Amino acid sequence: MEEMLAIFIASTLRLAMPLMLAASGELVSERAGVLNLSLEGMMLTAAFFGALGSWASGNPYLGVACAILASVVVSAVQAWLSVNLRANQLVVGIGFNILALGATTLLYRIIFGGLSREEIPGLPKLAVKGLSDLPFAGTAFFQQSVIVYVGLGLIVLIWAMLNHTSFGLAVRAVGDEPRSADKAGIPVNATRWKAVLITGFMAGFAGAFISIADIHTFTENMTNGAGYLALAAVIFGGWNVGRTIAACLLFGAATALQFQLPAMGINVPTAFLLMLPYLLALLAVAGVVGRLEPPTSLTLPFQRGK
Amino acid sequence: MSQPTGSLLSLKNLGKRFGSLQALEGVSLDVRAGTVQCLLGENGAGKSTLCNLIFGVYEPSAGDMAFDGAAWAPESPAVALEKGIAMVHQHFSLVPRMTVVENLMLGQVRGVLKRHEFGARIRDIAESFGFSLDPDAVVGELSVGERQRAEIVKCLMRDPKLLVLDEPTAVLPPGEIGALLDICRRVADSGRAVILVTHKLAEIAKVADRVVVLRTGRLVADESMAEADMGALVHAMVGRELRPLDVALAETDEDVETPEAARGFALVCDGLTVHDRHGAVRLDNFTLEIRPGEIVGLAGVEGNGQSELGMVLAGLLRPTEGHFYIGGSDLTHAGAAAVTAAGGGIVPEDRHAVACVTGMSVAENVFLNKLERFTRFGLLQRGAMNAAAQKQMKEFDVRATGPEVAFSGLSGGNQQKAVLARELTLDPLVALVAAQPTRGLDVSAVEAVYRQIRAAARRGVGVLLISSELDELLAVADRVAVLYRGRLVGERPAEMSERGAIGALMSGQIVSGQVA
Repeated sequence: MEEMLAIFIASTLRLAMPLMLAASGELVSERAGVLNLSLEGMMLTAAFFGALGSWASGNPYLGVACAILASVVVSAVQAWLSVNLRANQLVVGIGFNILALGATTLLYRIIFGGLSREEIPGLPKLAVKGLSDLPFAGTAFFQQSVIVYVGLGLIVLIWAMLNHTSFGLAVRAVGDEPRSADKAGIPVNATRWKAVLITGFMAGFAGAFISIADIHTFTENMTNGAGYLALAAVIFGGWNVGRTIAACLLFGAATALQFQLPAMGINVPTAFLLMLPYLLALLAVAGVVGRLEPPTSLTLPFQRGK
Repeated sequence: MSQPTGSLLSLKNLGKRFGSLQALEGVSLDVRAGTVQCLLGENGAGKSTLCNLIFGVYEPSAGDMAFDGAAWAPESPAVALEKGIAMVHQHFSLVPRMTVVENLMLGQVRGVLKRHEFGARIRDIAESFGFSLDPDAVVGELSVGERQRAEIVKCLMRDPKLLVLDEPTAVLPPGEIGALLDICRRVADSGRAVILVTHKLAEIAKVADRVVVLRTGRLVADESMAEADMGALVHAMVGRELRPLDVALAETDEDVETPEAARGFALVCDGLTVHDRHGAVRLDNFTLEIRPGEIVGLAGVEGNGQSELGMVLAGLLRPTEGHFYIGGSDLTHAGAAAVTAAGGGIVPEDRHAVACVTGMSVAENVFLNKLERFTRFGLLQRGAMNAAAQKQMKEFDVRATGPEVAFSGLSGGNQQKAVLARELTLDPLVALVAAQPTRGLDVSAVEAVYRQIRAAARRGVGVLLISSELDELLAVADRVAVLYRGRLVGERPAEMSERGAIGALMSGQIVSGQVA
């Protein structure tokens, strides 16, 4: 039983990881007032280019770099459209997601057509010396892919940045009252640009985790809604880093149940378990669990004097 | 340069022109360190323009300024702030969801935030001027007075030589005004100069050392407060000669006997009280009765409850207490459609946001509240509607190429005339509530609007005319009631000779009775 629990925790962490990475990145840009509905598209693009880079170079770390680069490029276009051109962020985001699905599917079929299902070089699991052999915690926490430890570190950095640095202060100010921030001498659009690029960076990491660290291959539409779940987690978490991470872990746990319950001989329809994280997300976004206020200027572009 | 000793800021023949509008002309004044100077004037008298020149928002088109012993020509507010002039604006620039210390650090610090250190500085500054401020309080949870104090500390942290406060009492509940004045006094006593911009002289008289009065862009009085005669200052602020509007309307006013309905009033407000969501009283026990055929002007400086009253009477805001009746029926909780059905015509204050749908055609806007007239089996009879609209446009002199052009393409005056056309053709029409109906209109449009309102009154409609333009009220209304801080503080006949008395009521100098 204890063994089961340890495995459950480990798989929860593994399944929640891409959500945590993407959601904490998205949190930064939403706090700055820009909604990236394109998060799903960024992750899918990253997953594909990560797989491609890793396969072509034979080096999974180069693959991660490719994933991040691809996602940051997508986020730069998103930032240009939503910050400079003041395009409707919802429409731009949906457009990106459809484009990313089409483009990665097409490229996948062209490049990998005959080699589908071939395993790509993946990242090693890193057993933390001295800790991985601990009876319970070892299995639960310390036999994860390298990217998990790096990712957790990045999330802590994001938390510290938002709450304890002048840049974080600027991010929160431009997301709430860009006019006041402007008066205080904060460059509103530049701050938003940086925030969106941080989202791109983290989404790239998340995409790389899915294809390179976790599954070791690319399949069509392999993110399968993880970006949307991450967006839901940000709302569920009330635009607060700690609560957002908790929401991601909850979604991760709900997904892990799919594998855990049958293994424990508990008979629940698989379809229900597949649905569970999305159902939770829906309830969360509808405000059933207590709604928190979004940043005041979320999705509202800034224009001086208007 | 020969400056009077102790003069911190001196202006010489300062002028500012915007296109054809001379906003400021020949203004000369001196502000001494260690004093509180009051800058008094009505809306549009040029107070804001003057502040914006000092603060580097605009460049003067004539005259010279000197500050702190040198010629003064700041190219931007940032430069002005840098060199020692700080300004507390009427609309605060704080982020409500951040704490006081976070707001004050914004744009001022780099790198890792040291909340404790900065918070201690905030406490010290606040205490040195005799008040307290919790640096860790979330701004959105503070009272308006506390927010204003945070804003003042934000300015004082820059150690300015001159502190300008724009209408600082306008947002404050009466109880907090005294505390603000104490702070101003202490700031002046610390060797700085303070300029208080206001149109409510009575409130700040206690603290001012000197008062300058602006009227239509010119300096009309500059006196030491100790020697000043309050009545004379108020007169200087509001006194004005007859304007063309009065003549124009007088010519067309053939003094018809108003048909007084035997029973009842057109509009009755009975103890209307509105609390905003922070619990502050915006409208306080407002009671007024308007007879059919009567035009009652409601004067008052903006922000004294006019907007709330307009919203209540339009059926868009539920009063906390009290009732209102149109033609005898209680519509307090009935909503906008019922107000229209009962014969309440509403010309809203905010033409763009409330009065019309700018993307729709003129015809659609004119018949927005009576579309059912042109609807058959759920389908809109566009031809009939456009024809009817054409007729009304002619009657109300709405100038547009046709009834199908977009409403947004019309000039402000024509938009307002179209709104009037819609509201004045209600059937039945018992009462008309017109809020700031001439705002932003040129003289001829103003005249046209008032002609229509008067014509309606002659047909027996009771009119409540809410306006901050006292001259217009005096020209159009039968009597003028004055709203101050949400209360009806007095009522005077609408005669030119009453101008001073009404002005005194508006400025809160007296609560009722005679001017000093």
